[in-house]
Formats: sequence, C-alpha cells, structure tokens
Amino acid sequence: MAIWTKIITLFRGAAHEAGTAVVDANAMRILDQEVRDAQNALLRARDDLAKIMAQRKIANDKLNDKKAKQVEYSNYIREALARDNRGLAQEVAAKLATVEADIATEAKIIGEYDNSISKLQASSRQAETVIQRLKQQIDTVKATESVQRAQAALAAQHAGTGAKLGTALDSLERIKQRQTERAAQLSVAEEMAAHTGEDADLQRRLAQAGIVPGESSAESILARFETPAPKALGHDSVPQLDHVAAGQKTS
Amino acid sequence: MNTPWTTESLYEALRSDASADLEGVELNLVGGVDPTVSITMHEHGDLALQLAVSGEQIFVSSPLCLASQVKDRNAFNEACLRLNPLNPLSNLGLQSVGGEDLYIVFGELSSRSPLPAVVEEIHVLADNTLQAAEAFADHLK
Repeated sequence: MAIWTKIITLFRGAAHEAGTAVVDANAMRILDQEVRDAQNALLRARDDLAKIMAQRKIANDKLNDKKAKQVEYSNYIREALARDNRGLAQEVAAKLATVEADIATEAKIIGEYDNSISKLQASSRQAETVIQRLKQQIDTVKATESVQRAQAALAAQHAGTGAKLGTALDSLERIKQRQTERAAQLSVAEEMAAHTGEDADLQRRLAQAGIVPGESSAESILARFETPAPKALGHDSVPQLDHVAAGQKTS
Repeated sequence: MNTPWTTESLYEALRSDASADLEGVELNLVGGVDPTVSITMHEHGDLALQLAVSGEQIFVSSPLCLASQVKDRNAFNEACLRLNPLNPLSNLGLQSVGGEDLYIVFGELSSRSPLPAVVEEIHVLADNTLQAAEAFADHLK
C-alpha cells in the first residue's frame, strides 16, 4: 500500500528534524487525504455505475423491441410463403436481415456494458474496503496519540521532580524491593514465632512439673469433688458444710 | 452487534462491574479532549498503563524502557523484533514521549470487545511488559 511508504518517508524525515509530533500530524493529514481520495473514487465509481446501468437498460429495451420485431417478421415471412406470395416474403426478409443485424449489435453492446458494470462494482467494493481500512488506521493513530499524550503528561510530572518517566524497569525494581521487604518481615515474624514457641514449651513443662497451675479439665474438677471433706472438729455440721461449699465455689 | 465502547463508558464499566477482576488495579480517568484511562498495576510494581478508545479500537500501552536505558540500540531493536512474534496478545513498539524515545508494549482490541476481554488484555499486558523487561535485562543499563 502506498500509504505505508508515505508514512515511512515521514519517519525518515523526522529522524533528522527530531520532531515526531510533526510525523503524527502529517500522518493524520496523509490518512485524511487518502480517505478523501478513496471516498471520491467511490462516489465516481457509483456515479459511473448508475449511468452505465441506465444505458444498459435502454439498450436492453431496444433489444427486446428488435426481438419482438424478429418474431413478427418471421411470422409474416412464413405466412406470405404459405400463400405463395414470394415477392412479399422477400421484402419482409430484407427487413428481418436489418433487424437481426441490429440484434447482434445490441447484444454486443449489452455484453460490454455488463463487463463495465462488474468492473465498476469491483472497484466500488475495493474503495469501500480501502476506506474502512484507512478509518481503522485513523482510529489507531488517534488512540495512540491520546495514549502518547497521557504518557508525555506523566513524563512532564516526573520532570519537575527530577525523576525519569516510570517504566517496567522501575516496576521490576519496586517488585524486588517489596519482595525483600516481605522476606524481611517474614523472617522477623518467624523469629517472633520461634520465641513465643520457646516460651510455650517452657510453660508446658512448668505446668507438667506442677509448678504453675495447668488448665482445669473435667477430670481435675471431678477429682476436686471426689476428695472427701476433712473431718470437722465441732458438732455444728451444717454451717461447716456451708463453709466448704462456699470455699469450693470460690476456688 | 453491541455498541462500541468510548474511553468514558469503558472506564465506568471497569469501575462498576463487580465481575471485572481488578484487584490491585487502580483506575483514573484523565480528562481532556481525548481522555485516557490511567491504570496503575499495584501487583505489578505500580506499572502505569494507559488506555484510550477511538472509534473501532481500544489501545492499551505500557512503558517498557527508555531508549536511554538501552546499552546497544541496534542489538536491542533486533531482540525486540525477534521477541515480538512470540509475545502473546501484545506488541513491542517505539514512540517519542516528551522528547524521549520510549519502548512500549501495547495491545489493540476491537472497541466492541466484551469487558472480560479488556480486563484480560490489561493483565496480560502488565505480565508481558514485566516479562519482557526481565528477558531484556542484559540489554539494559
């Protein structure tokens, strides 16, 4: 496609001028011009097509008239011969000869029209495809431009801070940094877990040794109830029982 | 045929559609005559993608590296051309941004693409960019 060549030529020029905004602006102009050219070509093809189809219709009507005449004259000839009027038959035959020559000519013309019609239809279709492709290309250029402008705006923001435009390299660096941080956090957490783990082990062993109270279980509670109450010295057993019950409750 | 997206409608859809899997993805509509969506990929080291819709096309671009970060431009260009056909769904390109040459990884979709396809494109583009940056480590300063 010639359009590619034109755009590539633009890039070559811009490499020396170091101005790619010029390329983009010109690329759009070239694309716009191409669309307009293709649209004009399409309109012309459609116009020509309409004209030729009208001419073909006229030629076809003429042909049909001639064909009707051909039938008519043929009938006359047959009838004249049947009535032994050879002179009349000959006269009509001369006319039929002209009609048949005309039919041949018209048929040839119609064949040529049909050729032109299919060629014009093909070039219309082609122009339509070209226009569609160019419009897609314009869409691409426009979308690219928007994105490019957005990136340039980002770059400008960074320029003020002295930093470069952030790229995938910065992101990779950031990911590595975060991984390092996460690894550090993880090792701190592991260390802490190990410490509390040591403490837990010590507590467990102390409880086993009976130095610190362990968790109360159903069994230990039952054991407490089953222990026989100490023999009271006095006779007032009822308050003593109350005392024991109260003591047990609070323990 | 469904209606094509515009930059604004796509931004709204991405923000409000609960089915869109955009965890760790920050979206900002950057206004102007031709608005863009600025996408920050927090799970990809805050990689900043730009998205714009124009007519029949959605264009998503991701910054790979600055030309000034490349050791040998010729060797790098060749490496890019060779990697390009192997890169699923994304292309490598070169653009001038703010007077500096920037290598980009970009993807194009039809503006009639369903939302999940756009979301996939965003994730794949971010993945591809970081993988390309890693793969090209030897070429970069």
